[in-house]
Amino acid sequence: MPSSIPADIPGSARTQKVAVPRWSGLSLMQSELKVLFGRRRTWALLLALAAIPILIAVAVRLSSGVPSGRGPAFLDRITQNGLFVAFTAMLVSVPLFLPLTVGVVAGDTIAGEANMGTLRYLLVAPAGRVRLLLVKYAAALAFCIVAPLTVALAGAAIGAALFPVGPVTLLSGDVIQPPEAAVRMLLIAAYMAVSLAGLSAIGLFLSTLTVVPVGAMAATVVVSVVSQIADQLPQLEWLHPWLFSHYWLGFGDMLRQPVLWDSFASNALLQAGYIAVFGASAYARFTTKDVLS
Amino acid sequence: MGSETTGTDSTFQQHGNRRSGRNWPRWLPALAGPVVIAAAALAGTLPANAGDPLPQKTPAEVLALAATHHTLAFSGTIEQSSDLGLPALPSTGPSSDPASAGGAASVVEFLSGQHTARVYMDGTTKARIQVVDRLAERDVIRRDSDVWFYSSKDNSAAHLTLPAHASDLPLGAPQAQGADPAAPAPTASPAESMMPMPEDLARHLLEKVDPTTAVTVGADVEVAGRAAYNLLLEPRSEATLVGQVAIAVDGETGMPLAVQVTARGAGTPAFRLGFTALSLDTPDDSLFTFSPPPGSTVKELQVPDSGQRTYEGHISGDQTPRANNFGDHAGAGKGPGHPSVTGQGWETILRLPAAAAGVPAAKSFMEDPLLAQAGVVVPGGRLVSTALLNVLITDDGRIFAGMVPPDRLQAAASAAP
Repeated sequence: MPSSIPADIPGSARTQKVAVPRWSGLSLMQSELKVLFGRRRTWALLLALAAIPILIAVAVRLSSGVPSGRGPAFLDRITQNGLFVAFTAMLVSVPLFLPLTVGVVAGDTIAGEANMGTLRYLLVAPAGRVRLLLVKYAAALAFCIVAPLTVALAGAAIGAALFPVGPVTLLSGDVIQPPEAAVRMLLIAAYMAVSLAGLSAIGLFLSTLTVVPVGAMAATVVVSVVSQIADQLPQLEWLHPWLFSHYWLGFGDMLRQPVLWDSFASNALLQAGYIAVFGASAYARFTTKDVLS
Repeated sequence: MGSETTGTDSTFQQHGNRRSGRNWPRWLPALAGPVVIAAAALAGTLPANAGDPLPQKTPAEVLALAATHHTLAFSGTIEQSSDLGLPALPSTGPSSDPASAGGAASVVEFLSGQHTARVYMDGTTKARIQVVDRLAERDVIRRDSDVWFYSSKDNSAAHLTLPAHASDLPLGAPQAQGADPAAPAPTASPAESMMPMPEDLARHLLEKVDPTTAVTVGADVEVAGRAAYNLLLEPRSEATLVGQVAIAVDGETGMPLAVQVTARGAGTPAFRLGFTALSLDTPDDSLFTFSPPPGSTVKELQVPDSGQRTYEGHISGDQTPRANNFGDHAGAGKGPGHPSVTGQGWETILRLPAAAAGVPAAKSFMEDPLLAQAGVVVPGGRLVSTALLNVLITDDGRIFAGMVPPDRLQAAASAAP
C-alpha cells in the first residue's frame, strides 16, 4: 500500500518541525473556515435552522391565538412580543435540530476528508495531525456558535416583522427593554454553543473512527438522542448529571432576574470534561491510525 | 489501533505490530481523562471538613448562638430535597396559579423531589423568594406591606396588602419571638408558601429541644462555603420516626444554614433543606420592586379577617407543610374546626376534624389522586406512610398526622372523640 501514510514516518519529525512556520495554524484555520462556510451543505443546515422560527412565527400569526400555558414555553407570549419568537425557536431547536446540524458538521470533520480522499494531502502538507485535529475541532466549534445565533437572529427578525416588539417579561416577572433582551438572547446563544461543544468533541472522535462520514454523523446524532432519553429515565438518576445533554434546557436561567449562573457554570464544566475525554480519544485514535485515503 | 495495515505481506504485519507497541502512550491521555474526572468527582463527594476552625462550643452555647442571630440582609440559594419514599411526582411543573395553589398540591410537591429557590432579604420588610423551575419561575416579592405573587407559567400575578400588625413577618425577627413566647409564632410568611426556609424549619425543630431530646454538637461542617456548627438533635423517645436532626449553625452569625432530618435507622437523610450559596451583602434594592408585567392577569387578594391567621385562606400550604413536616402547630388548636394536637415533642400528633371548615387542605388532601394511590388501607382508615411522617385518614374523614409510627396514629384515632 504505497499510498498509505503511516502514523509515524521515520525521520519525519525533524522535517516537520522545520516546516511548521510555512503553514501556520492560523492560515490552516482560515482555509478550514472558508471551506466549512463556503459549503452549500453548511448553508442548507443554517437555512433549515432559520426556518424554525419562521415556521413558528407564521403559524402563530395565522392561528387565532395561543391559549395561555399551552405548548412550549414562551409560545403564548409571541403575539404580545415578537422577540419571544427567538426564545421559543431556540427552545424548540435544542432537543433535535441543533444536535442534528452539529452532528453533521462534527461527524464530517475527519471522515469527510478521508472519504473525499483529501485527508492524505492534508497530512502530506506538514501541518501535523494534532494541528489538523485542533483546527477541525475549532471549525466545528465555530459552527456551534453560528448555529444558535442563526436561530436567534432569524427569530428576532421574523418576530419583529410580524409582531409588535416591546419590553420583554423575564421568568422572574421583571421587565427589561429590548436592548437588554438582545443581550440575554446572546447569552442564551452562548449557553447553547457551550452545550454543543461536548457533542462536537464526541462527533470529532467518532469521525476519526471511520472513513464513512454519514456513519459518524448518524452516530453523533444518535448519541445525542440516547443521552436525552437517558436523561428522562428516573431509573438512571445517578447518571443524569453526567450526561452531556443534562443542562441543555437550563438556558432558561439566562432569563431570570438576576441571571442565574449556576447552570451555565455546571454546563461549562461538564462540557469541558467531555471535550477532554473525547478530544484525547480523538487524538489517540487519529495520531495512531494509518491514513489510507 | 493501526489495524488498517491489512496487507498480507508479513513485513506490513510486522510494521503494524511495531507501531502499535510504540504508540500506546498516545492513548494515555484518553485513559487518564476519565480517571482524573472520576477522582475529582469522588473527592467532591467526600464530606467537606472545615478542619475545625471554629472554637469549641457546648450544645447550649450553639443553641444560644442560633437564638441570638439577627442576620436580616442576605441573598442566597436554597436547595431542598426529599426522599420520603413517596412515588415520584410527574414533573409537570408548578401549580400554575400562585394565588390558588392548592394546599395539598403544594405540600405534595415539597414532599418529593428536589427544589431550588433563590432568596433575597433586606430587613424584616423586604424579601424576595424565587422558586426556580425548569423554564419557569414562581416569585414572591414583598416590600413593606405589599406582597406580590408571580408565576411565569401562565404569566399571572396576585397582590396582597398586609395589615399593619403583620409588619415584622417574613422569616426574620427571631428576637421578637423570643421576647414573648406566648405570642403566636410569626407563621405564614409569604415565603413559606413557596419554599420553607432553613431558618424557619430550624426554629420549629429547636422548639422541640426539651428533656426528650439529646442535643450534641458534631464535627464542624461546611455549608455554602461557610464553617458551621453541626447541632445534632436525637429524640430519646422510641415513638417517633425521626432518628436524628442535624442543624448547621453558621459559626460566625449563628444563622441556621441547613437542616437534615434522618429517619430512625436510615443511613442518609430523608429530608434536606439548606443553603448552597449565601452572601451576607445587602441585595440590590430594585429586586424588591415589582409591578405586574404587561399582559399578565392580576388578582387582588383579600386578607382574611383573623389577624393571626393572616394568609390562611390564601396560603393553605402554610398549615399543611408545617403539620406534615414538623407535626406541631400548637397555635392553631384554638377554634372549632381547626386542627388540634395531642402528645408532646416528637410524639406530637396533629388532628384535623372531619369536614373541617376553613381547612381546604383536608379535603384536597383526601381527593388528591396521588395521595389516594399512596395510601394503604389499614384498620380504621387509609394510611399514607413515608419515611418521616405518617398520615392516617380515618373512614369518617378525620386526619391524623405525626412523625410517629402508624399504631400511634391509630391509637390516637380510636381515643379521640
